[in-house]
Amino acid sequence: MTSEVVNAPRRQSRRGASFRDAGPPVALIVVFLVFAALSPQFRSLDNVANIVDAAAVLAVVTCGITFVLMMGSIDLSAAGVMGASALTVSLLVANNRNDNDFGLLGIAVAVLLGCAFGCLSGLALVLLKVPSFMATLGMSAVGLGVATLMFAGVQPNISDTMVKGLAIERFLGLSYLTWIAAGCVLVGWLVQRYTRLGRYAFAIGGAEEVLALSGVKVKPYKVAVFTLAGAFYGLAGVMVTSQLGAGLVQAGDGYDFSAITAAVVGGTLLTGGRGGIGHSAVGVLLVMVLTNGLVQVGVSPYWQGGVEGLIVVAAVAAAVIPQRRRNQVVK
Amino acid sequence: MSVPALEVRGLVKHYPGVKALDGVDLVVRRNEVLGLAGENGAGKSTLLKALVGLVAPDAGSIHVRGEPVRLRSVVDAADHGIGMVFQEQSLVPNLTAAENIVLGSEGPAVRRGVYRWEVMRRLAQEQLDKIGSRIDPLARTDSLSFADRQMVEIAKVLRIEERTQHPPVVILDEPTSVLEPKEIDTLFAQIRRLREFATVIFVSHRLDEVLDVCDRVTVLRGGRSVGEVATAGAVPRELHRMMIGSTGSDDHYHENAATTVVSEEPRLSVRGLSGATFRDISFDVARGEIVAIVGVHGSGREDVCRALFGAEPTTAGEIRMDGRTIELPSTRAACAAGIGYVPAERKIEGMVGPMSVAENMTLAKQRARLAGPFVAPRKQATLVDSWIRRLSIRTPGRDTPIQRLSGGNQQKVILARWLVAGDVRLLLLDHPTRGLDIGARSEVYRLMRELAATGVATVLLGDSLEEAIGMADRILVMTDGRVATEVACPNGGKPSPLDLVKEMV
Amino acid sequence: MSTAVAMKPVHRLTGFMPLIALVALVAALTVADPDFLTQRSLIAVARTAAPLIVLAAGATLVVLCGGIDLSIAALASLSTVFLALWLPELGGLATPAVILVAAAIGAAQGAAHVLLRIPSFIVTLGGMAILSAVALVISGAGTVRVVDDSTIHWLDLYLAGYVPMSAAMAVLVVALIAVVLTVTPLRSWIAATGYSESAARLAGTPVDLVKIGAFCVSGGCAGLAAVMLVSRQFSGGPTMADNLLLPAVAAIVVGGTAITGGHGSVWRSFAGALVVTLLRVGLPIVGVPSAYEQILYGAIIVVAVALTLDRAKVSTVK
Repeated sequence: MTSEVVNAPRRQSRRGASFRDAGPPVALIVVFLVFAALSPQFRSLDNVANIVDAAAVLAVVTCGITFVLMMGSIDLSAAGVMGASALTVSLLVANNRNDNDFGLLGIAVAVLLGCAFGCLSGLALVLLKVPSFMATLGMSAVGLGVATLMFAGVQPNISDTMVKGLAIERFLGLSYLTWIAAGCVLVGWLVQRYTRLGRYAFAIGGAEEVLALSGVKVKPYKVAVFTLAGAFYGLAGVMVTSQLGAGLVQAGDGYDFSAITAAVVGGTLLTGGRGGIGHSAVGVLLVMVLTNGLVQVGVSPYWQGGVEGLIVVAAVAAAVIPQRRRNQVVK
Repeated sequence: MSVPALEVRGLVKHYPGVKALDGVDLVVRRNEVLGLAGENGAGKSTLLKALVGLVAPDAGSIHVRGEPVRLRSVVDAADHGIGMVFQEQSLVPNLTAAENIVLGSEGPAVRRGVYRWEVMRRLAQEQLDKIGSRIDPLARTDSLSFADRQMVEIAKVLRIEERTQHPPVVILDEPTSVLEPKEIDTLFAQIRRLREFATVIFVSHRLDEVLDVCDRVTVLRGGRSVGEVATAGAVPRELHRMMIGSTGSDDHYHENAATTVVSEEPRLSVRGLSGATFRDISFDVARGEIVAIVGVHGSGREDVCRALFGAEPTTAGEIRMDGRTIELPSTRAACAAGIGYVPAERKIEGMVGPMSVAENMTLAKQRARLAGPFVAPRKQATLVDSWIRRLSIRTPGRDTPIQRLSGGNQQKVILARWLVAGDVRLLLLDHPTRGLDIGARSEVYRLMRELAATGVATVLLGDSLEEAIGMADRILVMTDGRVATEVACPNGGKPSPLDLVKEMV
Repeated sequence: MSTAVAMKPVHRLTGFMPLIALVALVAALTVADPDFLTQRSLIAVARTAAPLIVLAAGATLVVLCGGIDLSIAALASLSTVFLALWLPELGGLATPAVILVAAAIGAAQGAAHVLLRIPSFIVTLGGMAILSAVALVISGAGTVRVVDDSTIHWLDLYLAGYVPMSAAMAVLVVALIAVVLTVTPLRSWIAATGYSESAARLAGTPVDLVKIGAFCVSGGCAGLAAVMLVSRQFSGGPTMADNLLLPAVAAIVVGGTAITGGHGSVWRSFAGALVVTLLRVGLPIVGVPSAYEQILYGAIIVVAVALTLDRAKVSTVK
């Protein structure tokens, strides 16, 4: 009797976990096969390379946001941070606005700027206790403002061949940006698996009180996770600049939401403590296959955001079902 | 005899309205298993929290191996060699067992922020070996059974050995409450083994277990230690008597005001109610009757109470009020049927702290302050003021935020919430006197009597057995989610707490 | 007890925060530009503020319930497209139709939040994406011109000669919401839901309906704001109101409504919206590049939330 009562929910959750882990890859394959059957263009090798290349920036942004989501927080600052980073890098490498030509150093500064924004979000969260979605919403606005200031009405077009080349030149059929993204996923996976930062981010989402009870000071880790996420956004801003050949304030438009969609669809829970970089990588591919496939079968590209909106709501709703309980407060 | 491993002298802890600890003394000798027994509210959990630095005592001292110490946190306590296996487990579910075991003191397992999984696995394995557990250290914690997780907790607590050169003090808080009999045997074997190299404080409400596994038992009552018994040759009855103490002869429960119950069609009739933690619950409550449900932690009585109010999902069964079935689960339907609920967690679930006394009092029965669809300020003022007077609620005014009142007065406002419309037929009182001082308790009891006299039926989850016996006309004893037995509790023929305890465990 | 005492001075301060900010801003702007306190520029401020006031007032209800509505701006954009498309056929009926549809969309999001138990910010974030997509598709991603604006032109007129009709409408909406809340049990229900949802539920409050209602009003207000925008700009566009999201959120938190729910009012958001509008109009007057506007919104949101937060309630902030 007692055992039934105690065991029942546990068994269920374990089954739920395996379903969640297997679901996204299966969905990815099914969606891919469906579109491949529907559209000859979709299944061409060129298009597959296209999808992977197009996923590069989103993959990097999603790497960052995944760590934040693992803690149970959320990050809406990607768009702003990417804008600021895009303008920074485009004004620091060879461009038509000034005589700077810092090359790699410019990229490093842009990434560091991303870190600074992330760090500020994290500090607002732990010191001022501002909920992360508000803190990062505000930080996104600040980032866009900083970007607009640097933009100053004249679009900086870059002439740095190295930065431009990242998007154009290819290695094994894929652009350098794609390889950078793959590197980011690998780094993210290593951080998640082998560093205290990554494991604690995971644990914070699982049971923050227990960490505190065991004498772990949680706050520095939270700030560090937001800083790490900021670094990824900074790099993503550089990648977009390389794609566009110019620094635009809107460089990150929509990426914040797409990244949340990708992470959630991949099986990362908004409540934290479940999922990870591997899940998110699958999620990114799923989102890209879906949006690319819809365009290939003739759906207006304007629907892209709408499709993402639907699947994020559906994915979150599906994730809550196993733990749905009466009287549980959802804000 | 060497210095005791742990000694507590005159520990005092006040909470608003209650004295949780009132000068507790406790001696724990080296390498012994000390049992701690006491009713709910005797101060056990506060004492344990003080021992691991989660509660700062107001007075008194704690000595570890003769040295006075001040414990500010769990980490602090661990540095002094004291660790606790918490009742609601304190493991991070999505980490591996190994990570949980070394959490917060990873040592060589994490070098410069980078994990060395092999070292971590070895460290954890060493801990698990100490207790002879064969759990895979790299298994995810939430994939382990409850009993295995408890072993992980014990292994984790034993890591405090690495911090001190002395045998650790391990506190086990209600470790058996959710274990199977076989698992309990394993745990007890474990505890006997621990005694070889550690000191154990064992807390359980099951006295037979305490007598079985402990060398000595200290009994707490009302925040004091009232006795110490060597378990060899002791019988549960003695301990029961010490835990309960002599019942006061004053009419604390206003038993003279008790009404005789007229048995006609029952006001509340529950048939075959089942849910996640309870099964096949059936009982009736007549008009003006007070029925208490007693049971130990985990008996499911709280959930039954919530289910009656529609706040807990049910899988089967029927609830009738005066013969009419009410639709469940819905708190709205329960309210409309004249059911009122006073939750145990007053501050979180009972009152809305920043809102005024008036708004809190009229929250459930808006109708009572409306004229048509509109709030009638004058009607509300008269109504609220009249209830403030009737229940002698001490408040600066009806517009004072309820969070500025004392606990007893807050509770009276919550009770009044169900009375203002005059349509309440059944009251569900979940620990209505929790955290109240004696005076406030007595007033709540008087109010319950008055309501019963007007025909209101009451289901009471008492704070203590005494309270249940003192107030109830009938007592249901719940164990493991079922009604084990029903005990008549009429005025003049009250059962003794001992009789009930026997049924409860 | 201690929390109540500790919170009081903070709340007293935040209670006056929007008013102090308003007075300070007006004074600063008058010093910077003596022409600021003229009828013409005040009318301009009022006209600019009107849609923002309405948007913020509606969303305030959701915040009071403890949630957030991030879809208001996207919904307003979509509504401008609806209005521009429907005006030729429906004429005078187009305005109520748009407001009703917007309210229904808001209610649908509220229902998704309540029934599927998804956090409100994610429902409305998803809603924002969906609504923007719909707006892009039905407008063909372009501006929809309004040829005959006779039925909405009244919003662009002036009451008694110099009070802009749209501003008067905005005040009317705020007053209406405030009065309805005060004279009915709704205020108690909303506050109880926001302060402590579980206590509200256990007192029999129709928490789910209250939340859905709040989202519904929020949607309706977005629709009305859209009508105001179209009446001024003679067109609807799929991204026309998108840049009003941050100012609206800023208006709510600057007004002193706590993001944690319960504490606040629509009047506070009214004052907050005026503050935000004055900043918007005033920055160029003082000679600050408008790029600083965004930075300011961001900073305002973070600081105002930090000041108005009910710290007693949030033990772990995610």
